[in-house]
Amino acid sequence: MAESRINNQIRTLRFLAGEMTQADLGARIGVTRQTIAAIEQGKYSPTLEAAFRIAKVLGKPLDEVFQWEDRDG
Amino acid sequence: MAWREKIAWITLVAMLIAYGVYFTLISLSTLPPVSMLALFGGLTVIQVIAVIVATTVLAALSSEEARAKPDERDRAVARRGASIAYFVLIVGMITVGVVMPFRDTGWRLINASLFALVVAETVRHLIVVVSYRRGWHG
Repeated sequence: MAESRINNQIRTLRFLAGEMTQADLGARIGVTRQTIAAIEQGKYSPTLEAAFRIAKVLGKPLDEVFQWEDRDG
Repeated sequence: MAWREKIAWITLVAMLIAYGVYFTLISLSTLPPVSMLALFGGLTVIQVIAVIVATTVLAALSSEEARAKPDERDRAVARRGASIAYFVLIVGMITVGVVMPFRDTGWRLINASLFALVVAETVRHLIVVVSYRRGWHG
């Protein structure tokens, strides 16, 4: 798999947001359920706009939803 | 599996079968030019019909997905496939148009250009499938 350096907490935050489904989240930000699944699995890095939309729907600041993995030490 | 990944798989398999048959047949026999053209056209029509039928059946089984517009990941994956396939096509066209005319003529050139088109399209769909399967962070 192509490696992503962006981690995310979407799955956990969806659960905390009333067990929101991937399809619900996708519908609210304008992407498919499969794209939300791909983001959660680290298979796709969303655009900045989609990242902000996800954070807004989940009611969290962006850096609580997405984190940059610093491998350079 | 994403809707557009399913379509890419269907198109890829249909292309590999149709044009695999074509290029195998023309490499094993010496068909007259008109027959080659008819064979290529016939296989293309069959391939297109097969893809349309398979897509229609798939759309009937997953109608909501099929109606959804491509989202940002779909567009990013499609762009990646097209941009890589473009370079494959350029290399193929340079080979056919600049290199091959020094030693080949006629139907060999035509079939080589058809082959370049098929390879470029195959690469495009392959990149799409791989990008959906393994991830893409474009």
